[in-house]
Amino acid sequence: MPPLLTIAFLTLREATRRRVLLFLGGASLIAIGLSTWGFVKLDEGSTQPQALIAVESVLVVLLAFAFSVVLAIAAAFLASPAIASEVDSGVALALLPRPFSRAEYVFGKWLGLATLLVAFTFVVGGLEFVAIGIAAGYHPPHPLGALAYLSAEGLALLTLALLASTRLPAIAGGIAAVAAFGASWIAGIVGGIAGALHNDGVQQGATAIGLLFPTDGLWRGAAFELQPVALMLAQEANESMRAQNPFATTAPPAGAFLTWTCCWMLALLAGAAYSFTRRDI
Amino acid sequence: MTAAAIDTLAVAKRYGAKTALHDLTMTVGRGEVFGFLGPNGAGKTTAVKIFLGLVRPTSGACEVLGKPLGDREARRKIGYLPELFRYQSWMTSAEVLDLHGELLGLPRAGRAKTVGDVLELVGLQARANDRVGTYSKGMQQRLGLGVALLGEPDLVFLDEPTSALDPVGRHDVRTIVESLKARGATVFLNSHLLTEVERVCDRVAVVDKGRVVASGSIDEMLGASTSVRLHLGSVNPDALAILRAFGTLEIDAPWFVVGGITDGSVPELVRRLVAAGVEIHAVEPSRTTLEERFLQLLKVPDAAVIDDRIPNPA
Repeated sequence: MPPLLTIAFLTLREATRRRVLLFLGGASLIAIGLSTWGFVKLDEGSTQPQALIAVESVLVVLLAFAFSVVLAIAAAFLASPAIASEVDSGVALALLPRPFSRAEYVFGKWLGLATLLVAFTFVVGGLEFVAIGIAAGYHPPHPLGALAYLSAEGLALLTLALLASTRLPAIAGGIAAVAAFGASWIAGIVGGIAGALHNDGVQQGATAIGLLFPTDGLWRGAAFELQPVALMLAQEANESMRAQNPFATTAPPAGAFLTWTCCWMLALLAGAAYSFTRRDI
Repeated sequence: MTAAAIDTLAVAKRYGAKTALHDLTMTVGRGEVFGFLGPNGAGKTTAVKIFLGLVRPTSGACEVLGKPLGDREARRKIGYLPELFRYQSWMTSAEVLDLHGELLGLPRAGRAKTVGDVLELVGLQARANDRVGTYSKGMQQRLGLGVALLGEPDLVFLDEPTSALDPVGRHDVRTIVESLKARGATVFLNSHLLTEVERVCDRVAVVDKGRVVASGSIDEMLGASTSVRLHLGSVNPDALAILRAFGTLEIDAPWFVVGGITDGSVPELVRRLVAAGVEIHAVEPSRTTLEERFLQLLKVPDAAVIDDRIPNPA
């Protein structure tokens, strides 16, 4: 097996053995159970089906946002110690002299964590959508598309945290990644408000932050995939609502933005490999 | 002609204004057991990390097993026990060794047997399936030794290999080093335990403040000079003159230490003392130890060391 895959499997095994998966899975099942119970109760007490669908669609988007925050934190705190803690503890001293490159080590770590994160997103997110569909009869328009955007958002933060992990202590890298997630989200809101107020300077600044940390743009993509057409039309008609609502959007992310995000992640990953290759252990 | 195990030319490592290693130039031949000695912070571990590709030298040239630093094929033939030995605490020792075997490219078919053999060699077979996190420090160092020996490496770096081991473990390490030498492997040994180094190494280098201050075979390092301790009774001025004629004299009555005397001169000294009517209760020739030589080289004040093989006259 190529060393890159050996490191990737090692990373997955560590997550399994250290009960990271068990904890995340258990906490997710509790969250799915509670949210599904809430949808059932909402369904029981409603007499207006159209209004109920509107409320349920908004709640699904809010749930997805909460899930995206969990994913962001999980990505940041899984990736930030991935390399830093092995260097600090001394585990890397025995491993790195083996016949493989530092780049293979970094890519292997990324592949293992990315597999874990994407699988977690699709399994837990999929279960949530299925549970709501069975219990409350509500089916969001494009759940797989939404999960793909949420995965991409998690991968972006994971890549950023892994880059930090090649140089920074684990806790500092984790905080930096979560701060980037927060900055991107706030920039999205501020950009919307600035757009409504026609303040070009602030809007450009917010756009720049959104490109520097593209997680909010990816979150907007997930929100777009989850919104019913009727809700989008209502937002389209109300500019101020659209501008200030971080949980809604009326258009999918542009192709150029998605291309930029892919390049951004590749650049960060290449940067992580370069940074770690140049580091004295 | 086979290239040297390690060949360096003016290798230096600087961290900002601090120089960790000054112009290290040395050659370690194939099949040698080479001791690299020095006080804490002398640059020993930095040198080893450079040889392993963990640290990039600031300047100089270096080849390991005839290949440039970091060469993948050379690294396949190198084993390393770090001074800070830590392994995945969530894995068993058998799994750790299997992981390293996989990274070394050992065939899957025979890997389980190889891992079992190494575990037996380092005395961990009974704990092979226990998590490393439950191991004592000494057991973790044994595991590190096993990791270093996996795949029959041509060059083995052992950085303080006995720091956490009991006397039995130290004996085991000595036996392992001797078996490595017997099969022609090169052993690069960093150690503070100079008596161990003296027993197993063919050649040594002493490094201090990032510079090599002396190097050579053990005999070259210690020289032919010895000292002799004599427990004497009824010493008169003639006897003192005889003692001084053979070398420097230190008196801690009733013990008299004659320094700088050669092995062959001791019988003559005894014969002349007896002829002078001196009572001789004990004669203890003592060669300069590596520890004494080491302290002399480092210019440690009051470098006279009490060798534990000599009974305390008190």
